[in-house]
Amino acid sequence: MDMVKAAKELLLQDKVDIFLGYRKLDGHQIPHGFTKAHVDDLDQLEISLNRYPLEKIACDLTRKDPTLKIGILARDCSQRALNLLYTWDQLNPENIETLTVNCCPSSLSTHGDCSYLKPKITGAYKKAHGIDYNDSPKNFMAEHDSQDRLSRWMYEFQKCIKCYGCRNVCPVCFCKECSLEHPNLVEPGVLPAEVPIFHLIRATHMAGRCIDCGLCEDACPAHIPLRMLYREVNDAVSDIFGYVPGDHIEKSPFSIIGKTVELTPAPMDV
Amino acid sequence: MTVKRIAFVQELLKFMGLEGRLHLEWISSAEAQKYVDVVTKFTEKIRNMGPNPLRAINEMKKAG
Repeated sequence: MDMVKAAKELLLQDKVDIFLGYRKLDGHQIPHGFTKAHVDDLDQLEISLNRYPLEKIACDLTRKDPTLKIGILARDCSQRALNLLYTWDQLNPENIETLTVNCCPSSLSTHGDCSYLKPKITGAYKKAHGIDYNDSPKNFMAEHDSQDRLSRWMYEFQKCIKCYGCRNVCPVCFCKECSLEHPNLVEPGVLPAEVPIFHLIRATHMAGRCIDCGLCEDACPAHIPLRMLYREVNDAVSDIFGYVPGDHIEKSPFSIIGKTVELTPAPMDV
Repeated sequence: MTVKRIAFVQELLKFMGLEGRLHLEWISSAEAQKYVDVVTKFTEKIRNMGPNPLRAINEMKKAG
């Protein structure tokens, strides 16, 4: 397998100190850091639909040792996440090597290696009262009036069990202090989470940051259509500021003081 | 910075179905009349829209 050979070369030629990929353990594919000392473990490298935020592991490793050279098995979404993490100085591009795996199907390859490519199924009750996974933000805005939109989002948010899975799996959530753990914003130990503030705090923080990998939605045990929410958030950012997170190394408009575009406060419509 | 954030949050609230409840206006300390006009107009607007629907939802939830 070419990928195994390429990864072995990276390690043996000391281009990287550790290579992050997946291997099977007790029947589960889990992230694994392969090293030069155990280079033959790479024969068990697994490439499948399953994905984890390997970039997040790279961030944790870098925090412990900023000089560590890291190889990563990367998809398109990983590339976007890496660009964003470079922008925010969480990773140094000089210390990262990527091996790109087939991600979305193309004319060259008919299958894609991504769990998100499995079509999502939305049940009839969710379709009637909540939000269809496969709906687009624009379509959702066009089809439902404001009251309907509110009640559908409340239906979705109220299912939240406050597991913080969306934040924990997110490759671009790296803050040392998280607003979702601030006792004045989100009361600790209270279930269910106060709606919609919990989700809107996260949505606001995803503005100019979310790279649309869909891991949060995959991870959510309550089936909240988070990817759709963050897509809308970033549609707004790209409409207003012309900024697409992870596209290239460029700071978000919310982290630049001063004007990136000319804006005037919207007039009050009565 | 404020205008950027407010423009974004207004979009987000619209998506949630809570539009119209957030407004930004620059008023200098020398513009007392403008302050009065804006606040009166906004209060009137919010009163016509009725109470915040989220309060009812969260209270209903607390009551079980």
